[in-house]
Amino acid sequence: MNEKQEDIFTLHGEDLRHMILSACEYFEHHKESINDLNVFPVPDGDTGTNMSLTLKAAADALLSVNSSSIGEVAGIAARSSLMGARGNSGVILSQLFRGIARGLAGKDKATLYEFGRAFQYGIVYAYNAVSKPIEGTILTVAREIARGSREAVQSSLNIVGLLQIALESGKKALDRTPDLLPALKEAGVVDAGGLGLVVFIEGCLQSMMEKTSGKEATGYKLTPSLVETRKKTQNGPEEFDERYPYCTELLIQGSGLSVEKIRSELERWGDSLLVAGEDEIVKVHIHTAEPGRILQICMQSGSLHDIKIDNMADQYKSTHWAKFPAWKNLPESKTPENNVGADVNDLVKIGIVTISSGDGLANIFTALGADKVIAGGQSMNPSIEEIVRAIESLSSEMVIVLPNNNNIRFAAEQAAKLVEKEVAIVDTNSIPQGLAAMLAFDRTASLAQNQSRMLERAQQVKTGEVTFAVREARINDIQIKKNDIIGLADGNLLVRGEVVNRTTVALLQAMLTGEEEILTIFYGSEVSSSQVEELVKEITAKYPSLEVEFHYGGQPLYYYLFSLE
Amino acid sequence: MAVVRIVTDSTAFLPREKMEAYNIKVVPLYVHFPDEIILDGSIDNKVFFEKMKKTSKLPFTSQPSPGDFLKVYEPIINNGDEIVSIHISSGISGTVESAATAARMLQTDRISIVDSTVTSGGLALLTIAAAEAAEEGKARDEIVDLLEQLKKKMKVLFVPATLEYLKKGGRIGGAQALLGTILQIKPVLMFKDGKIEVFDKIRTMKKAMRRMVDELPEKGQNLRITILQAEAVETAGILKELIEERLPGTAVEIMGISPVIGTHVGPGVIGLAFLQK
Repeated sequence: MNEKQEDIFTLHGEDLRHMILSACEYFEHHKESINDLNVFPVPDGDTGTNMSLTLKAAADALLSVNSSSIGEVAGIAARSSLMGARGNSGVILSQLFRGIARGLAGKDKATLYEFGRAFQYGIVYAYNAVSKPIEGTILTVAREIARGSREAVQSSLNIVGLLQIALESGKKALDRTPDLLPALKEAGVVDAGGLGLVVFIEGCLQSMMEKTSGKEATGYKLTPSLVETRKKTQNGPEEFDERYPYCTELLIQGSGLSVEKIRSELERWGDSLLVAGEDEIVKVHIHTAEPGRILQICMQSGSLHDIKIDNMADQYKSTHWAKFPAWKNLPESKTPENNVGADVNDLVKIGIVTISSGDGLANIFTALGADKVIAGGQSMNPSIEEIVRAIESLSSEMVIVLPNNNNIRFAAEQAAKLVEKEVAIVDTNSIPQGLAAMLAFDRTASLAQNQSRMLERAQQVKTGEVTFAVREARINDIQIKKNDIIGLADGNLLVRGEVVNRTTVALLQAMLTGEEEILTIFYGSEVSSSQVEELVKEITAKYPSLEVEFHYGGQPLYYYLFSLE
Repeated sequence: MAVVRIVTDSTAFLPREKMEAYNIKVVPLYVHFPDEIILDGSIDNKVFFEKMKKTSKLPFTSQPSPGDFLKVYEPIINNGDEIVSIHISSGISGTVESAATAARMLQTDRISIVDSTVTSGGLALLTIAAAEAAEEGKARDEIVDLLEQLKKKMKVLFVPATLEYLKKGGRIGGAQALLGTILQIKPVLMFKDGKIEVFDKIRTMKKAMRRMVDELPEKGQNLRITILQAEAVETAGILKELIEERLPGTAVEIMGISPVIGTHVGPGVIGLAFLQK
């Protein structure tokens, strides 16, 4: 740490506001890279987009705030990010703000030390946000950050020191995520949510360093972003120049290091050069033909650490990712938020909120007794606020929420905590599961009885989904090209093909065990009725004992959703 | 001591031999077709459902008149005997009303009228239990008490092939909520507090049958089970197998339903009535 940072700066509301706004902007730049890391190449609520929208909710609220109280600013950031949180990773991020707000509550200003402790609170909140932590995800990263930074807080490090340690622990944990989660390893990526958290902290650190060093934000680069390097090593040929096959990364530690000097020494030995840091530590990243020479040059400035040299030609073969900003091309869900609370009478004690996309599916949910259908799901995960509003819009004091998507569960859980009503979440992971749960709903039974019965029934249904790949991938030993038609059974990619109907039949064939009696198909907005009729004809001919039923679902992106039971 | 005679109505659909064996009197309801009025139970079910299919307008049904009850009650009372008269649920039929009116007209306190809160096979099981008790020489009050006890243990579940008939006949009750459900559903309906309510919503007939069988008690002791069906003999056979798998050695009887009930639930219905004493 240099001397300037050792000065005890006092942080005001404006500083925190600035930190969040900068971190949000920083995040925005990396959003697409994070989206690209989503393991399944399916069009889904993307992690980068979800986290970015969550941060934006906080940023938007802060833009109009002019409070000097740091506690107040933290409180606004916490509330607004919580309401705007989307997707599981967004929810976890919002909890980080909640912890910070708790640490700063009632404070007009804070010392860097106090702020460091508040940030530590935030990380702990983020880790505790989830009831069933899965290792190898954003939670592993959050936990390791919490662990790594605990000592820093105890030893009275200021916020910059804390963030630096947090960042380092986060990166280390992130690198380990593929070892913890086989799906990541197979896909050759790190966890997207974990990366998002690291990127956010990096954004915070950058802003805080500006504050404490008094430098202007323009053109300042802290470290070569992890995002950038991942993109380069994993995203394939665009950035890969065969003249410079060795991606070389290292840290130089010393004193009085000069970023400019190191950069000028290295410049001629390769491309994609990034040199950044402070006078005690500098991070170097370069693509070169001569990694040995890079090491020699760097050793003249200080000691070398975390040396990593990869031959990108190897990586290109094993993990060639097509860049595809999936979220950009997603059509907005067509379904309006329709509140079709059919004949509300005094007996209706339990209301149901469900989340689905497509006008046809919304109608079906409504016909089965859902009181409120939130538009969302595969195309766009609803925010906590949308779920809160839906719950509050019902006249009933008890509400059941069906997320119908893995990535909406946390948001639903948080929404449940924010309302005064008694809320039970039935952990449905797909539209067919949601519909099966609806059928098990019994208005005369208790909330708890309904919750367990609905979940049990939902889990008895098999879900088939037919969509297209948003990028290349290799999953379950199936090589997938961008725009391939892919079929998923209960979230597992089972088949690929070129033709929608044929792929659907193949998926069905892979799923049938002979026990199933009824197939219910919901066709999406991009499928014509003649196309679905063709499909039904083919299936009926092939499986005469299977009862086949089809309905217009109107969902975007997914040609067919079907349930087998 | 006075002999207690058991009277029921045609919706119990007791086979003739049972009626004769227990000396049970049956008062019929009516089915009104545009061209003729049929006494419930006086026509073969196959013929009835054929006629129902052919008719342009669905038939409607009506309860027996108090006069119909008088015709049955009067000779028994005049003979010095007593009556326990058990009938189709007052929640779906006015039959109990007609019976009560008839009893009042006779100005006697020797007739007890019991609202079974069910019908069909459920009513049949209760009627036979009453007849057995009467045969054992139980007093009228004891039989009524017994019936009140058994009513609580009685369960009648059924799955109509379609809700159309219940809807048109106005007896749909709580199953009303299922109309307009876009997905194909095999609703498992039940009698609850004398009315038809939704027990569960199931997607396929096989699963619906399994759902009904799941409701059977764990053990088959003192258990009486009746399968109800209309134009669904094959399905009834499958249900029987499912029950026998679950409770080996328990006697399961397959019964039809009376045309009056058939008018309201439609052909293709399958049901289960059981009672554990």
